[in-house]
Amino acid sequence: MSAPARSNYSVAIVGAGIIGLYTAYHLARAGTGPILVVDRGFLSSGASGRNGGGVRQQWETRATLRLARESVAAYRRFGREFGYNIWFRQSGYLFLAETDAELARLRPVHDLVRSEGLDSRVLDADGVRRLVDGIAPGAAVGGTYLGTDGTLYPFPALWGLYEAVRALDVEVALGVEVLGVTTADGRVTGLATSRGPVTASRVVNAAGGWSGDLSRAAGLDVPNHATRHEILATEPMKPFLDPMVVRPSDGLYFSQTMRGEIVGGLTLPHAPGTGGGMSSSAAFLPRMAASLSRLVPRLGSLGVLRAWSGYYDDTPDGFPIIGEDLRCPGFFHANGFGGHGFMLAPSATRRIARAVMGEATDLDPGLFGPGRFTGAARPAAVERLQLG
Amino acid sequence: MVEPSRSRFWFEGRSHDAEPGRTVLDRLLRHGLPSLQRSPRYHRPRAPFCGIGQCTGCLVRVNGRPNVRACRYVPGEGDRVETENAWPSRRFDLLAAFDVMFPNGIDTLHGFRRPAFMTPLYHRVIRRLAGYGQPPSRESATELRGPPRVGSADVLIVGAGRSGRVAAEALVAEGRHPILLDRRADVAPVAGADVWASTTASFLPPRPSTPGAAFDLIGYTEPARGVLVRAPQVIVATGSYDASLLFGSNDRPGVLTGDGALGFARSGSPAPFHHAVVFGAGDRARVVLDELGDHVSALVAPGEIPPETVRVASAAGIPLYPRSLLCTTEGRSRVRAVEIRARGNGSSTRLECDAVVLVHRRLPNGQLFFQAGARMNWRAGTGSYYPVVGDDGATSVPGLWAIGSASGTVGAASVGSGERVAAAVTGGSLPLSPLERVRSDGSNELEGYYRELVRIPRRGRWIACPCEDVLLEEIEQTTRAGYRGVEVVKRYSGLGTGLCQGRYCLPDALLLLSIAEGRPPSEVGYITQRPPVHPTPIAALAALDGVLTPAEGT
Repeated sequence: MSAPARSNYSVAIVGAGIIGLYTAYHLARAGTGPILVVDRGFLSSGASGRNGGGVRQQWETRATLRLARESVAAYRRFGREFGYNIWFRQSGYLFLAETDAELARLRPVHDLVRSEGLDSRVLDADGVRRLVDGIAPGAAVGGTYLGTDGTLYPFPALWGLYEAVRALDVEVALGVEVLGVTTADGRVTGLATSRGPVTASRVVNAAGGWSGDLSRAAGLDVPNHATRHEILATEPMKPFLDPMVVRPSDGLYFSQTMRGEIVGGLTLPHAPGTGGGMSSSAAFLPRMAASLSRLVPRLGSLGVLRAWSGYYDDTPDGFPIIGEDLRCPGFFHANGFGGHGFMLAPSATRRIARAVMGEATDLDPGLFGPGRFTGAARPAAVERLQLG
Repeated sequence: MVEPSRSRFWFEGRSHDAEPGRTVLDRLLRHGLPSLQRSPRYHRPRAPFCGIGQCTGCLVRVNGRPNVRACRYVPGEGDRVETENAWPSRRFDLLAAFDVMFPNGIDTLHGFRRPAFMTPLYHRVIRRLAGYGQPPSRESATELRGPPRVGSADVLIVGAGRSGRVAAEALVAEGRHPILLDRRADVAPVAGADVWASTTASFLPPRPSTPGAAFDLIGYTEPARGVLVRAPQVIVATGSYDASLLFGSNDRPGVLTGDGALGFARSGSPAPFHHAVVFGAGDRARVVLDELGDHVSALVAPGEIPPETVRVASAAGIPLYPRSLLCTTEGRSRVRAVEIRARGNGSSTRLECDAVVLVHRRLPNGQLFFQAGARMNWRAGTGSYYPVVGDDGATSVPGLWAIGSASGTVGAASVGSGERVAAAVTGGSLPLSPLERVRSDGSNELEGYYRELVRIPRRGRWIACPCEDVLLEEIEQTTRAGYRGVEVVKRYSGLGTGLCQGRYCLPDALLLLSIAEGRPPSEVGYITQRPPVHPTPIAALAALDGVLTPAEGT
């Protein structure tokens, strides 16, 4: 635990995950004065250290797709920029369709991805079989595949960013809990922390699954809700699977990591909120095992090594919330990533930093802005591809 | 007279006799201690180490199923047992060149970043080198599909060791009919109790908060049948195991834990060593001297040697080396000697031997307590975490009880804890006097030991985590880079992420990090004990899918 070294900062960022650290990095490079990143856990204790490492560009909306595409470019150069090898491996994302109707539902995504100049393919059952060695006969009629999507190893991305921001004089206070946001005349004045008050005229809420709680504690009515998702890793083995495989029907996703483990999860109904802890439920292991071994029967004889869980920070329309909350000037949202913070971090945080510095961004406020949930307006669009 | 037909299994193209209840390793030990596989990164020869199905020293592929522990698997007719992760063979592995090529370790965190156009090639090569075995064959899983074994009882006891059996007998005497689980195949029956042998407990989730809900214990039996036991009361008697130790080339074949040495000797095979160096001087060392004294050539201890041990060793003519550091092993594919050094900058001595038997500390199997959400506390005596427990065995979780050495009892107190828990579970009362437990105050003996050890000049590979080939230097680099706490060190270095679930690296890493970070071990943290306790076949878990759903409470 390290108490903040000073009491007065230009920007205070809550959350030392991929979003918080990347935002700090962009801000520090732009030179915005003293920056504090505060997190109550240790580095990698939240969703940034608990995800499956998938990075894809197949999305339902052009806006998200373009952010993801820019992120892929950033992750390709991450190792040279930050000194840590994140093993970003562009070996594709495969969305499986169990029926022709499901394949038809994947079509619009495929068309959108192609219209952006990316080489999305529609595969038939044979094409799927070539990518997933040992898939059960009849398990998929086909799917869509984009070879430049990929997976990375999340931890070194955090180490690289952590060291980079510290080299830029950003202060990262770990093990310090934020108790609330302080305001005066409706404007942000700083944070109340377990190590005392901190003054900052701008606060960035990058607290992942706990973002909604923090915003609400600041008196802001936001629709973020945390959902617990579980994941497992198997014993490591020699490579047999290249792409990330996603089955929309039950939310199953899995890939084989650089170390050789199968890492994956599936969607289970959990009560919203962060009260469920970060352990595994009794239902997950059997359900995940059944789903996985029905799809790829040969995996049945492989051992599950460990299971864990983490929190998604979901929004009703599937878009993150980015920008200043005008109800409370100085309070910036960098949350609501719905389990896709890693996928979108490099590009989204560039915009967040710009917003914090008072500059205009190219993000459509109707899609990403914090104001989109107030009033009676219907959402401008919905991003439903919240998988893998 | 017709001889009964013997079943045979195949290993490296030769057939071996199978015998009921005898494992693959049992059969192979007849020809000496086998080196069955290579380590993951540096392809160093590895041999059985723990003998109790926890380490990665005896992984083999059986009928296309990877990572089967030879010390647990009882072969049947026609089984094909193959070695993993060595090319072209386990005896001569070309990839062992990595051990020579990378004396300072392979740095996958910073290395292999340039030039950019090489990235796809790096990915292909590193991926191919990672992983223990080949993926499962298509046929391997079809053999494993079968219905789960499901049971319920008013009391479930996990572990049929001394205290678990005592508790079972006492419960039967009270008119109860407990289920008693144990990983071992050869568990003697308990009259009136339902004994499930060869059954591994993998996961004990917290009890659902709905009124009247019971615990659901998830596990499996070999080869891969799912197990579910539902019980409102669970007594955990999972016992303890002999710890590992850090020294130079501490992974060399012939380095064994006390569990391994005693288990191999008790299996009826010829002892796999003739002149071992025993490290440790307590009760456990005396058991080794009693049973294997003829095969022991020296006894080395980190501290003073208790008079009882001196007596036993002297009677057998075994030389004693108290207050000594175990510095390094020598040899190639087998231990040939160890170098020890008297503590306090003393002189070093070379002891010839063909094995090192580690009996310096015994650690609790506490994973189920963590999983079920019991409060834990640090006990310095062994340097480990135990459940906070009352004298009747009650943990902080209602309905969850802890007895025996997993609960921190010492010696005869294990039996006492078994008797008491039965009374408490059935609502009876016994006059309670405190049981002798592992000391919770002061510091662990190894803290001072390691403080000296890390300062001596190093020879050989110092393997902090054998499952993943993580080196001591990598742990030290992590601290130097500014990362603190065992949770972060785990994610940074890969320490504790292998098949033993951290059993053989974490306890020592905690002490080493405590020294490096300058704070007590209990502040360095503890790696979250994630389920399952042992790697559990996907097929076994899948079989429980429909069974579990109705009671799902989360």
